[in-house]
Amino acid sequence: MAPGMPQLTEEQRRELEEKLKNMSPEQLKEFQKKQCIFCQITSGKVPSKAVYDDAVCLAVLDINPAAKGHLLLIPKEHYAIMPQVPDEVLKYLFLIARHFSQIMLKALRADGVNLFVANGPAAGQRAQHFMIHVIPRKEGDSLLAIDEKLIDHELIAKIKSVLEPALKSILEKGGEKKPELKREKKASPEEQRKEEPEHFITSATAKRYHKEKCPFAQNIPAGSKVVFSKEQALQSGKEPCTCVTGRKIPLKKPPEGATAKEKEPEKKMKSEGMKEKTKREEAENTEDVSLDDIADLFK
Amino acid sequence: MKCEYCDIVNRESKSELLYEDADLIIAIKDTVLTPGQVTIFPRQHFTILEMVPEEILQKCFVYANKAGMAVFEGLQSQGTNIIVQNGLGAGQKVPHFAIEVIPRTEGDGLQLQWQPKQLMEDEIENVFAILKEEAGKIDLQKKKKAEQEKEVVVKDEKTEMKVVKEKGENYLLKSLRRVP
Repeated sequence: MAPGMPQLTEEQRRELEEKLKNMSPEQLKEFQKKQCIFCQITSGKVPSKAVYDDAVCLAVLDINPAAKGHLLLIPKEHYAIMPQVPDEVLKYLFLIARHFSQIMLKALRADGVNLFVANGPAAGQRAQHFMIHVIPRKEGDSLLAIDEKLIDHELIAKIKSVLEPALKSILEKGGEKKPELKREKKASPEEQRKEEPEHFITSATAKRYHKEKCPFAQNIPAGSKVVFSKEQALQSGKEPCTCVTGRKIPLKKPPEGATAKEKEPEKKMKSEGMKEKTKREEAENTEDVSLDDIADLFK
Repeated sequence: MKCEYCDIVNRESKSELLYEDADLIIAIKDTVLTPGQVTIFPRQHFTILEMVPEEILQKCFVYANKAGMAVFEGLQSQGTNIIVQNGLGAGQKVPHFAIEVIPRTEGDGLQLQWQPKQLMEDEIENVFAILKEEAGKIDLQKKKKAEQEKEVVVKDEKTEMKVVKEKGENYLLKSLRRVP
């Protein structure tokens, strides 16, 4: 129970439960907001030491700080824990968090910064409102100092066997598209079977057969397109395209040093797509940060 | 310089990897605070948070959140901590930016809580003033950008006007020439 909440009698509680049951989702949200101290803070009903305020979030000094300058970055919308926060909001919040990390390193001369999120009381979360702690650190302040343990390969494999399918289903649910990897990934036999298409595409005159999505297959005019099953493909005497075998061949003439090029396309695409943006960012970065000092400490 | 995480990226064995794509890696390290901890880091080497490009950084946090969900579901953990140690002074051990997702259960004995620090009133006011001033610049940067963009637009309009004028003059000149 939240501190400061009055003790309810049995009757009052039943009444409240009944009330909650009959509420519409909007009303429930409103009710939740009224109960949440951080919703009161973000709406300005409870005073706080806010250093930053915009449409999405509020940054305030923690009243129980781990260190001088300890900030709480609080979304204005009520989310109990991080898994409830939409990706777009999360992206925005951590970008602001990065701004504050930069500020702490520079203006507060912090030796480092911790970003810290607690989800659930077991993780030390006190209020049911998601927030990011941004904590400036000084050498030897002995905050968050816990020893790491060594775990063996058996345990790693065990954890992986549980987490891998869980993560996969979450990513699929979220509709995250996995960008193509340059390197080949060994898929399990089941995965391979799933991924293998039922049919291949070729034309009467072609020497090779292709997957449906292969650019070569898409070049075949609809009239001369021949679709056949895996068995037929094997019996046809035609050779599999690299899209079937999985080997990579460059579609256009490879310039010298094709291997070096393989690593670059993603970089290139980005630099072309947001040339202006990155330019501006670069200008900004060189202008106001010299973070090399902090990075250099590792050397 | 040797980097433990770049080693994980380049290693033949994928036994430690939970997920990988062109931008980021999710790995299970062999040195952890508690078993079940997963680490998310960009594939490319960036020493600290501030050096990671915006898009990759945001993706890392989105995937850290998904990894946290997987920890909730897969390990039946009662909570998670998401931690970034940015800089040596913040306990960063590997010179490669990373996000740690730590599964938590009641009574797991992990001490991740801090004792509130007692601060003098003027200390608070001082740090508050600095942070507020600097945070104001976050907005200023955005405004600056917007202003710069506006300026460009205004310039464009001016040049367009000139073009129109020139065209007009040309037209007049042409018509003048036509006069016998």
